[in-house]
Amino acid sequence: MIEAIAKTILGTIGVAIFGIVVGLIYKGIDRKLAAHMQARVGPPIRQPFRDVVKLFMKESVVPENAIGWVFNLAPVIALTAGIIILMYIPIAGFPALLSTHGDLILVIYLLLIPSLAMVLGGFASASPYATIGAQREMVLMMSFEFPLAITIISIAWKLSRIPVSDPFSLSTITSYPIWNQVGPIGFIGCVLLLIVMLIVAPGELSKIPFDVPEAETEIAGGLLVEYSGRNLALFYLADAVKTIAIGSLIVAIFFPYNLSSILNLTGYLGKFADIAFYFLKLLAVIFFSVILVRVSVARLKIDQVVSTYWIPLTLLSLVGLVLMMLDIILVERGIPW
Amino acid sequence: MGFPETIHTGSGFWAPIFWIIAFIVAILISYVIRGFGRKDYKRGTEQVKPFLAGNIEERKEALHIRGDHAYWGFKEALRGFYEKSKKFHSGDTRDYILWFIIILVISFVLAEVV
Repeated sequence: MIEAIAKTILGTIGVAIFGIVVGLIYKGIDRKLAAHMQARVGPPIRQPFRDVVKLFMKESVVPENAIGWVFNLAPVIALTAGIIILMYIPIAGFPALLSTHGDLILVIYLLLIPSLAMVLGGFASASPYATIGAQREMVLMMSFEFPLAITIISIAWKLSRIPVSDPFSLSTITSYPIWNQVGPIGFIGCVLLLIVMLIVAPGELSKIPFDVPEAETEIAGGLLVEYSGRNLALFYLADAVKTIAIGSLIVAIFFPYNLSSILNLTGYLGKFADIAFYFLKLLAVIFFSVILVRVSVARLKIDQVVSTYWIPLTLLSLVGLVLMMLDIILVERGIPW
Repeated sequence: MGFPETIHTGSGFWAPIFWIIAFIVAILISYVIRGFGRKDYKRGTEQVKPFLAGNIEERKEALHIRGDHAYWGFKEALRGFYEKSKKFHSGDTRDYILWFIIILVISFVLAEVV
């Protein structure tokens, strides 16, 4: 018991350092790649670290009408929740630190907390821009939850028919890669569910084209408009950590393969190969779901965001679910496809 | 009952005690990081006025945004659905009972088929 608590405490510290450092590096890579795609040189990869240091040196203003304690607490909660999410997700080929203490359903709920913290901070700012941003964030959250839930349930349900114990456990999901468990029809279903997850990711992260809660050119930064200095720095760090969490979640669900098992590598070489492979997979996921999308398209209007998630994406995830069901029926009845 | 108890829902599981421990440690880390930042700002100056893009600040009440605006995006995106739904809400109890009976019949037929 004491050992488990000590492991949790030390693990949280380790995961926090990992999430923040890697998150900022990936933010740097994001900016560099986006700049190159727009024929610009772009800032150096270490620029996000400089930005955080710069923000810490700036005044942290609390508006006169704001609810001070909520305004100051919101960025702390956002970063805290980001770190906690990472505790439940397998990272760099290692099982999640709290893998036996919480499952994928918990992760879905935890993913809401950073967004809720931003909503709280926005409402506590007592600014019309921030209020509009906070309301938009709430609408955004409600929009992507439905296709996200269908995707997760489809995969867990398929695994439950293998059968395995705890199909919602991320350890189970990584131990039984979904692509190995399905036939051709299920494979198509999996591809559709992956597409849905890749489009949900920019929504979860409020990135273009789903960045309506911030929308700098329209509502001047929305729910972050009144934030400055160390509070803004914490939101910046929370965004970096959440990016790693979402990327790692997609990697864990859809690409849980390790190089060590594919190439029969053992010892330190195997671990090194797994870690390097994880960073590569993470970069690929972030590149295709965030970087490429945000340089390719413009921001959607709020009603377009809702209709995108609720109509085509929900339908796509439902088609994915039906294909998975069909796959299960065909496999269980022994019908060749 | 063991300690810490993991809650099992049939499909999922969660051990709240470990979540709480991790949460306390993470919030302390966040506060430590926040502590590196500058604490001061100029209270009682123009600096603490809300940013309104140069517009004159109106009374606080006039700046409030109605609660139902939170759902504006939904109403706008699903306008076709809402407009059709409104027609069903005639306010006549007989219409609602008729809908209830129709749905009940469909449910029974589906249950029989499945």
